[in-house]
Amino acid sequence: MSVAEINTALYNRRRRRNIRAMAWSLAATAFGLGWLVLILGVLFWEGLSGLSLSVFTEMTPPPGADGGLLNPIVGSLVMTFLAVLIGTPIGILAGTYMAEYGRYDRLTHVVRFINDILLSAPSIVIGLFIYEVMVAPMGHFSGWAGAVALAVIVIPVVVRTTEDMLTLVPNALREAASALGLPRSIIILRISYRAARAGMITGVLLAIARISGETAPLLFTALNNQFWSLNLNAPMPSLPVVIFQFALSPYKDWQKLAWTGALIITLSVLILSIIARVLAARSSRSS
Amino acid sequence: MNLAPTPTMVSSGPAISVGDLQEKISIRDLSFYYGDSLALKNLTLSLYERKVTAFIGPSGCGKSTLLRVLNRMYDLYPGQRAVGQVLLDGANILSPSLDLNLLRARVGMVFQKPTPFPMTIYENIAFGVRLYERLSRSELDARVEQALRRGALWDEVKDKLGASGLSLSGGQQQRLCIARTVAVRPDVILLDEPCSALDPISTAKIEELIDELADDHTIVIVTHNMQQAARVSDFTAFMYLGELVEFGATQQMFTTPSDRRTQDYITGRFG
Repeated sequence: MSVAEINTALYNRRRRRNIRAMAWSLAATAFGLGWLVLILGVLFWEGLSGLSLSVFTEMTPPPGADGGLLNPIVGSLVMTFLAVLIGTPIGILAGTYMAEYGRYDRLTHVVRFINDILLSAPSIVIGLFIYEVMVAPMGHFSGWAGAVALAVIVIPVVVRTTEDMLTLVPNALREAASALGLPRSIIILRISYRAARAGMITGVLLAIARISGETAPLLFTALNNQFWSLNLNAPMPSLPVVIFQFALSPYKDWQKLAWTGALIITLSVLILSIIARVLAARSSRSS
Repeated sequence: MNLAPTPTMVSSGPAISVGDLQEKISIRDLSFYYGDSLALKNLTLSLYERKVTAFIGPSGCGKSTLLRVLNRMYDLYPGQRAVGQVLLDGANILSPSLDLNLLRARVGMVFQKPTPFPMTIYENIAFGVRLYERLSRSELDARVEQALRRGALWDEVKDKLGASGLSLSGGQQQRLCIARTVAVRPDVILLDEPCSALDPISTAKIEELIDELADDHTIVIVTHNMQQAARVSDFTAFMYLGELVEFGATQQMFTTPSDRRTQDYITGRFG
């Protein structure tokens, strides 16, 4: 029996198996992508027609009147901004401890485990928790409570990405910096952060993307507000809650605004993800 | 009382005599542990001021480990510890109260793979200097130029000091790392296989550089390449399985080694 004969028989069988496996994989991918395309398609179809300048300049209307989404958009921006302002420093510091100071400590393993639980905790639980510790004692719903609830979602995301990105910084770079006699704090600030910067910013962007669509934690904390309000001690409107409310309403124009709001959130998340991608690609090229 | 087998010390090589030699680092009964495993067994040897000492030996013999004791680099990792004494100008650097950053400013290190920092060429050099000295802009510029000249890199980078250190070629990056080390003015420079990732031309440049640096630095180099050890070093230590087999003047070691294992290694019979 010649070598060539054995090869052809085996080769053909393997080739057919390969084609079958590839066909199944492609079909599964198409199935998953199909739903995504359908969702986006409906969203654009329904939302795009309602998208106009007045959406960004007018308040939420009473049923049957014209109006926009200005107050929930601003409310969402304010609460998201505050949540990031509270959550990012905590997340970065904790991630820095885990990757730099306490990399071999037991505490780091414990924190990582708990952080992973927090990362996948249902957001409604976080809403209820903030309701218990902030809303109930204060006696009213507030923008602050909403921001803190969102911050609790931001923290584990930032902790995770910060730790991951700092762990990716080669130890050789830390050794080289130590070999010059640089103290730990300078090495972290000037070498590790610089090398991991893009990845860490990506983490914050992903956290923003994550919280910009959260509804459950805001329902129990910031509630909603039909009017213009920048008072953080009062209930504050937000896009996801307005979408929730308007979409469930029987009024055609409210439903239309809900679609538009959903489109706005989706587009913002899309833009954030693209920026995150670009940053990540740039960082992997430079290191 | 040192009961460990004393390595052969050559008293009268053709080029060097003990009389001119000043001991810079004195290693006394040094053992090193990675967790429970013993990596260096009771080493005793001297490193002489303004001389180049090469550590050679097969992989896993402990030569890099020994080098990393000399600036306490192992301290970055848990479970690694050294027992014994390492005296730098008479002071024990293994003492727990020692300020590691000051030690490392005096004992610089260059690694196997070039490790430029993610910043400009200028900043790569100025970064370490700024931490220990307050210099004016022009003094700092002068220091950066001087360091790059000593690193034999000035002519190649003088027009692009603002470019990223990562944009240089591998050989240039390694010379940048040497320049960076020289810039903080250490007494001792440790080189951990500095040429193993470089092409022959870059290697030749760095060997030339080592020769010049030895005018005012004590140099310790770990190398896999025996020809390199023979070319650049004044003294050679041959290590095997965590033990110091033989230590002496390089010329002596490479022509008439006193230990059988040294002879086998340098003639390429193993390793």
